Amino acid sequence: MSMTDGEIRELCNRFFDAYQDRRVDQLAELYAPDCIVWHNVFGRDTTGAQNLAALPASYEGQRRRTYNDRVINTFEGGFVIQYTLHGVQHSGHQGALWICIVGLCRDGRITRIDEYMDSGKFPAWRSGRPGKDATAEESRL
Amino acid sequence: MRQDWNLLQLCDRFFDAIEQMDYSTLESCYAPEAIVWHSHDCLYQSRESNLAMLKDSMQRLKKMRFRNRRVHVFEGGFVQQHTMYVTHPNDFVGQMDVCFIGYVRDLKISRAYEYFDTGQIEKFLGPRGG
Repeated sequence: MSMTDGEIRELCNRFFDAYQDRRVDQLAELYAPDCIVWHNVFGRDTTGAQNLAALPASYEGQRRRTYNDRVINTFEGGFVIQYTLHGVQHSGHQGALWICIVGLCRDGRITRIDEYMDSGKFPAWRSGRPGKDATAEESRL
Repeated sequence: MRQDWNLLQLCDRFFDAIEQMDYSTLESCYAPEAIVWHSHDCLYQSRESNLAMLKDSMQRLKKMRFRNRRVHVFEGGFVQQHTMYVTHPNDFVGQMDVCFIGYVRDLKISRAYEYFDTGQIEKFLGPRGG
């Protein structure tokens, strides 16, 4: 069943609200069973299940994350979202990453996510100090 | 009214022009007010500066190719995901995964956003910067 632009936009916002609120249970409902998640930092596909399994540990990295400045455009069967991810580390350090995601949808669920971010900004995101490489934890944002 | 076909044509014309090193066609794809944002510095680059950069790339690089193009059009623009391959003067072939979002006015690109990973810059420039 095809989705309207409004339905796709709502799905996109529900997805990022759930991500922000750390509601892994809600995210699980938004991923299609065959969902694939691809990150440009690693250049490989992971399953939705693998992505969800990694989230609790990933969330421990920051005190808070907010998904701001969302610009969403919808197309037939999907969306592209540009946003700013603001994070507050446990140290109080505040960092930001500028990210773009192309999402594909079917029957009210997300079937594919392609995520583009700049791992060159990970040190500033984490501590403001240069020199540390991207880690697996940081790629799961 | 959405003009999917025209937006797809504009997207193809833009990237084909870079591949074919056809500067005049490339320039014609940009609206007079065009600006281009890049994820590595989060700054908007002027039309003139961006075109100068692309012209320099056309003159300096042996080849530029955009492979695995996946294009979607939306109201007022398009998004293209691709892997960019560049052949440097020393024959090193660099590559980079890119997401390019173009906002379009009167069938010209008026604002563009380009996302890529500078953490993998050596794969693009080569171990010694091409």
